[in-house]
Amino acid sequence: MSTLTLNVNGQNHTVSVNDSGMPLLWVLRDILGLTGTKYGCGIEICGACTVMVNGQAEKSCDMDVSSAVGKQIVTIEGLSTNRSHPAQQAWIAKQVPQCGYCQSGMLMSVACSMKAGHRGSNIEIGNLCVCGTYNRIKQAVSTL
Amino acid sequence: MSTITAPELRKNETRIGRRGFLSFATGGLTLGFLMPEFSGIGELDAATITQVNSFLKIGSDESITLTIGSTEMGQGSFSGLAQVLAEELAVDYSKIVTVQGAPTLANPAPVGAAINTVGSSVLRTNFWKLRDAGCAARTLLVQAAAKAKGDSNLSNYTAANGIVTHTPTASKYTYGQLAASAATLPLGTPLPLIPDADFKVIGKTVPRVDIPNKVDGSAIYGIDIRLPNMVYAVIKHGPAFGATLASTPATPRGMIAVVPTKVIAGTDRGTEAVGNINAVAVVGSNTWDAWQSARSLSAKWNLPANVASLNSTQFTAAASALLTGATPYTAAGQNPPGTVYTVEGTATTPAAVASALSGSAHVVDAIYTLPYVAHACMEVLNCTVDYVAGVRCDIYAPTQSAKGLLQLAVMLTGLPESAITVHTTYLGGGLGRKAEQDFVSQAIQVGMAIGRPVKLMWPREEDFTRDQYRPMAVIHGKAGVNGSGQITGWAYRNVSPSILGQRGAVLGPTGDSQGIEGAQALPYNIGVRLTEWVSHTAPIPVGFWRSVGASLNTFAVESLIDELAAAAGQDPYNFRRSALTDPRWIAVLDAGANLGGWHTAPPSGHFRGIAIGTAFNSIVAEVVEISNVTANGLRVNKVSIALDSYLTVNPGQVDAQLSGGMVHGLNAALYGRQTFVNGAAQNKNFNHSRMIRSGEMPTVATTIIPNPSALDRRRVIGGVGELGVPTLAPALANAYFKATGKRVRDLPFFPNATMND
Repeated sequence: MSTLTLNVNGQNHTVSVNDSGMPLLWVLRDILGLTGTKYGCGIEICGACTVMVNGQAEKSCDMDVSSAVGKQIVTIEGLSTNRSHPAQQAWIAKQVPQCGYCQSGMLMSVACSMKAGHRGSNIEIGNLCVCGTYNRIKQAVSTL
Repeated sequence: MSTITAPELRKNETRIGRRGFLSFATGGLTLGFLMPEFSGIGELDAATITQVNSFLKIGSDESITLTIGSTEMGQGSFSGLAQVLAEELAVDYSKIVTVQGAPTLANPAPVGAAINTVGSSVLRTNFWKLRDAGCAARTLLVQAAAKAKGDSNLSNYTAANGIVTHTPTASKYTYGQLAASAATLPLGTPLPLIPDADFKVIGKTVPRVDIPNKVDGSAIYGIDIRLPNMVYAVIKHGPAFGATLASTPATPRGMIAVVPTKVIAGTDRGTEAVGNINAVAVVGSNTWDAWQSARSLSAKWNLPANVASLNSTQFTAAASALLTGATPYTAAGQNPPGTVYTVEGTATTPAAVASALSGSAHVVDAIYTLPYVAHACMEVLNCTVDYVAGVRCDIYAPTQSAKGLLQLAVMLTGLPESAITVHTTYLGGGLGRKAEQDFVSQAIQVGMAIGRPVKLMWPREEDFTRDQYRPMAVIHGKAGVNGSGQITGWAYRNVSPSILGQRGAVLGPTGDSQGIEGAQALPYNIGVRLTEWVSHTAPIPVGFWRSVGASLNTFAVESLIDELAAAAGQDPYNFRRSALTDPRWIAVLDAGANLGGWHTAPPSGHFRGIAIGTAFNSIVAEVVEISNVTANGLRVNKVSIALDSYLTVNPGQVDAQLSGGMVHGLNAALYGRQTFVNGAAQNKNFNHSRMIRSGEMPTVATTIIPNPSALDRRRVIGGVGELGVPTLAPALANAYFKATGKRVRDLPFFPNATMND
């Protein structure tokens, strides 16, 4: 049993895990109750689990929780308090989601890309959406 | 506003009014109205109504709540139903709060009937019922205003924006003020429905009600359920289809339990027979620890005796043999797999078709093959159960079959229906897979075994390897054209495993209705026709995959049509237009061709293909434009889609669904395939089951045949959610032929494609 301190959405949380190799995804979802971050593939392909770690996009399904200690983690719940992040606003304006399951990861990827200085069509969209919402995503990011 | 559950509805029922409404007072006007379940056949007949699955409450606080018994999985049904209600109730669409309802076994439902959110059915089966309900509520509110005003002439009142106005005096009453009184009145003659010309909401693009919660992580899918004292279970199936557990493994250190789960009656499919213990669930304090223990668990399994025959190569060989060797259906016979059923052309013999073809200028003789394909919903299968022995059972599930789930829970727990509550969550994709109950039955078994709340999850690898797949198919088409380019004869035989047969259905003389969709009643002038369907023997579980049989048959039919056009030396669009006999199909073909720029030359290096088809009473045409064809890939530049569904409620959402369905079809056509070796599925994750990402997404244009100026309630409304799928693959293959001169008759195009991060 390891006890770790994680900084998530600006707050420190002390968590106990049996396996310090537990991916950050499952700590967020099962231990901290932040279920907005999704499990999709578990092998870093789909991107549904994307969160921001020290400003950069990370696929949390394959990131040991121990390696997240001491870093600033932002999840979809912390992207804004009232859907006010420009990407969230654009997602609503362009009616992007269908089932919506991948969209937390999409939005976090976009937010990270914006944080890196990208705008409009330069924003990277690498995640998987089986509903095929890509064109509305492109329309939405073109306004950012 | 709390959700009114179905049991409360029954307790409070006071009377059943005209058109089957239930009215009772619970702090306002509540109408329970009857929505038909989707029965698959004749579902528009009001006589099939068996279930209260949607109802409306107007609160004294001006709130308007629509409780919906079907499922929201991204198709936008909640919003579409709210639009229809808003129109007839004469309120602002944004005022309506939609709430997920619970299933009930009341009334009683016929055996096998369930509230299934399948078949692109929610709006098309509920449109008129919901309008009638909204109209009845509006009528009662006007009656209440008349009582309050003391002027019983209802023509002196108007209802708009949630207010009834007495026009001679301009007295105004809000719906909230009238609701309690309205609930006490008998419904008189309903006021007229809102005229189509006055529609303010129906036919307009409005924002979907579920989208805001899908941009901030607050939308709750099944996998997000958390309950006090909850533990986590991860499923591990046997190593092959048909495998059964030899002995229960010891509980690994640190785990709470290992629970064997068996196949429950009604969830058995193919190799997975009732009573087989085909999986174990490892229960731990969190998903990750349980998953790791499941991975390393040393369970012993007994493989089925026929395991060596459960191979894709053998399935294909067996299907090929059945193209000629199937046993004819007999009315009194057992008709086991391997039986050939005559779908169309019962008076036609193969010899008659051969005779018709013998005089043809050109004959096309082609075999098309399609593989098993997984559903791969983004949200893996999962279900949460909170069972208290002898007391109650709460089930939280991303399900397309809430009522079937309730029936299953009654059977498994032995509890009365009143002690069981089904909570339908949002679905992270359904695609037909979440109409099944296998994962739910496992969660209930685990919940009963451990006696505390438990969330059961299938890792992605289990989701891919233990699916109920789109059936494989081997399809033989043989057809001819004469010197004038007219089709002389048409012989078509589809060999595929039976979806309904695996569900215990006794197939009639025309075979599996799911398997022949898209191959029958084709409005082409195709001369002598013989259409057959053969039940394949392969026991790999198969199921309903977005657009079901239409995704198989439309590929073969529209490829064959295209091959005939090429044989006749005709333009593929012109050839179809000449052969089509239905003006609606012709209009859709024209609309699709125009949208796709068919009549102008494509950009240099680009090539176009076209296809048309039908599913769920709608007609759809697609034009696919491609370039950069290599041995390993191609670029899909643009897909243009035309749809006639008779009715459009939300054009923006139709656009989204057509585009989404098209992507589903494109993923399968380019890359989708599951193969089996000794009963074990080989593709276990997205790395070997590629799906397109943003960089591969084509431009998509959609056009909808407009609603008629006045809707006719006798006309059949078509579905939308699955319509983007069936014509994509043939249009793509036809474009590929244009580009390369080669026919792609075997899907997928690129079976060995992979994807990585």
